[in-house]
Amino acid sequence: MAISKKIQQLKDKFGPAIQQVDIPGDNRLIIYIDPASVKPICQYLFRDMNGRYVISIGCDDRPYSGKFQVLHNFAFDPDKILCSIISRLSGDKPKIDSISGIIPGANWAEREIKDMFGIEPVGHPYPKRLVLPDGWPEGHHPLRKDVPWNEVPEGFDETREFSFDETPEGCTVVPFGPFHPTLDEPEHFRLYVDGEFVRGCEYRGFMVHRGLEKLSETVLGYNDVPMMAERVCGICGCVHSVAYCQAVEAGAGIQVPARAEYMRTIMLEIERLHSHPMWVGLACHLVGFDTLFMQAWRIREPIMWLAEKITGNRKTYGLSLVGGVRWDLTPELKAETRSVLDKLESEWIAVVSAVSKDKNIMARTRGVGIADKSLCKEMGLVGPVARAAGVDIDCRRDHPYAAYDKLDFKVIISDTADVWGRLIVRMNEVFESIKIIRQALDKMPEGPLMAEITEELPAGRLGMTSVEAPRGESHHIVITGDDNRPRRWRVRAPTYQNLQGIPAMIKDQRLADMQISLGGIDPCMSCTDRMETIDIRTGAKKVWTKAELLSLSRVNKG
Amino acid sequence: MNMIVGGAVNIGMVLVLAPFFQGVLRKVTARIQSRQGPPVKQPYLDLLKLLGKEDIESGEAPVLQRFAAYLPLAVLLTVACLVPMGFQAPLNGSGDAILLVLLLTLCGICTLLAGLASGSTYSLIGINREMMCMMTLEPLFAVAIVMGAIQKGSLRLDEVLSGAVYGPTGFALSGIAMLVIMLLAFQAFVGRAPFDISEAETEIMEGALIEYSGPKLALFHYAGMAKLVVYSALFVSLFLPWGSQLPLPVSFVLFWAKVLVMVLLVTTVAATHARYRIDQAIRYFAIMLVVSLVTLAAASYGF
Repeated sequence: MAISKKIQQLKDKFGPAIQQVDIPGDNRLIIYIDPASVKPICQYLFRDMNGRYVISIGCDDRPYSGKFQVLHNFAFDPDKILCSIISRLSGDKPKIDSISGIIPGANWAEREIKDMFGIEPVGHPYPKRLVLPDGWPEGHHPLRKDVPWNEVPEGFDETREFSFDETPEGCTVVPFGPFHPTLDEPEHFRLYVDGEFVRGCEYRGFMVHRGLEKLSETVLGYNDVPMMAERVCGICGCVHSVAYCQAVEAGAGIQVPARAEYMRTIMLEIERLHSHPMWVGLACHLVGFDTLFMQAWRIREPIMWLAEKITGNRKTYGLSLVGGVRWDLTPELKAETRSVLDKLESEWIAVVSAVSKDKNIMARTRGVGIADKSLCKEMGLVGPVARAAGVDIDCRRDHPYAAYDKLDFKVIISDTADVWGRLIVRMNEVFESIKIIRQALDKMPEGPLMAEITEELPAGRLGMTSVEAPRGESHHIVITGDDNRPRRWRVRAPTYQNLQGIPAMIKDQRLADMQISLGGIDPCMSCTDRMETIDIRTGAKKVWTKAELLSLSRVNKG
Repeated sequence: MNMIVGGAVNIGMVLVLAPFFQGVLRKVTARIQSRQGPPVKQPYLDLLKLLGKEDIESGEAPVLQRFAAYLPLAVLLTVACLVPMGFQAPLNGSGDAILLVLLLTLCGICTLLAGLASGSTYSLIGINREMMCMMTLEPLFAVAIVMGAIQKGSLRLDEVLSGAVYGPTGFALSGIAMLVIMLLAFQAFVGRAPFDISEAETEIMEGALIEYSGPKLALFHYAGMAKLVVYSALFVSLFLPWGSQLPLPVSFVLFWAKVLVMVLLVTTVAATHARYRIDQAIRYFAIMLVVSLVTLAAASYGF
């Protein structure tokens, strides 16, 4: 079996560094290791065993085991395995070797662990603050168990500002955000521009960080969290609530009834059906083609009404609870769904043919925002961004959840690795979603919508799940706890990884392409809020003084 | 006397009709996009609203900003007096074809002034793009006017602006070629999609106009609307002069009907295209320019 082969491989290579192995489910692997070997083990997993890097997570387990934990999660998509490498660290100022040098995609995750837990990633190439606001004092780490959720730390300095890196020589600074017509959510991209070409980019985000993970550990209950999870994102709420519930169900060993699985599948695909046309419209708007923007959104509108008829709301469905779902489909709703899908399909065929033949759109998106296979591997890019580069990953097929293992669908791949490829992938995924919903409607069995949960959920169990959001893999982990709430809940949205690829995608491209490149990853800042930096030296002539740069980047004048 | 009345009529017509044509453009665009769209009188209301706002001066050089705000509309209205709009141009004889070309270029420079005076990064990028477009685009109109001058053998405006490009026979090949070229480039002259690069809202936040608000912004918007009308009028008199010899009420109505057709053409093209990137647009203009110069050479050899 694939799991035992992998365990054997690791044990042969690393011997006593592998301290303990748990196999909580058919496709889940939890390995406790010696923290001193974290770097070689992760390198082996990433390079030699060809694992895909998912996320790194910190956890304060001191009330229970007296130690901090750092989890590095990987996925073996062809074998359908999700794996977590856990290092246990003692002391109040723990340190662990950074893996960002070997796995660039871990850059943000390790900085977040440092901000939130105070666990120092030794040897991190860029240990700048990521999550916490600029005025936050040092040494105060919010996700530690001994820090109350509503504490305002002493020494919070309101006036302290973010210190940007040095501008590369010869470049002008073009500030992009937090307020900009292109962006719906606040973030700040500081572009280093040489004429029309972008030479580098620094990002400052986390302006909409709401501390949801802390709230889930302290004041919310197991069944409150799904309602909050839905509000993680302004577009893909259902994904996060389902992912959380699945993580709890995996950890606590709850079996969800079949009808509820199908219900979740249908609503997840309905969510994809409202997200992709929205994005296609936005992409057209970004390149100045407002007619297609209006038409795409007009075609999408019946899906919103359908969602409202089924769940009571256009976007925040309130669908999942731990153990099942809250809404059901009556025969009338099923018939209405089918007719909405038929209409959508026929109109969408027209949109696809209009876009595919449009030379203007092609000219604006071909060769723009390139993210090839190796960048996808290094940064852990997921979703349509990866599939447009030819990387064959899709959580619905690789780590099946809800009812996807019973349904038949294609994974859409392109090979152009640019925004055009992502456009093609998303447009064609609409047809696959329609196919999935139709099958689900036919195959949906009768039965209860909710599992019977008669006793308290066992504590201290780790559950992991990967759900394919419209933007890519949304990976949740939950460590179940006492007191009717989780001990730890970590949301890793797809945009978290995809944003880290942006500096490489826009480097040496034109400023005009920056917006469509950013739009090409379909960024969802509320899911994410993070950033990374790249500096490239140029040989251009003009030099701006620091004072000029500062005055350029400040919005208010006199 | 005639000059003053004629001037008042031309200026009045442009001022009154420019927002109307803009309204038509917005309404037709909306219908193409399957939506209702604003009422046709909306641009009038927008201008009135902006004119009533507080005149805030923000930007690096407010005095220059003021100057840059008044200039485009003033220049366009002057050009309107040089163009025959259904009857002989009121300022006929005051200037020749070269004056017209210079005035049109001056109008383009106004945007550059506006962006420079603002001094914001976005406006500088905006005027960068505008400058590049101007350099490759403006010569096209000059070539068209010069071709008419060559055919008629005179730089007098009333001779050039009466379909002179078609030569003595009225069917010169070079004239027809020039008509096609100008049609293809017309969208760029009036600054509408796919060539509205320098004011790309989603990209550089309005570009040159970023530091303008209230009444000054109203003047710029008005100038933009007037540009559409005046350039359409120029196009009509250069290339579609037929019927201008008819008696006065008929020729007047016919002229404005032709301008409306031009506006509808601009609308349809704008609604069905995505915006070009600056380098793609420049390449497009450069090709047009080369072809037009070849056409001009052909015209001077009598084709």
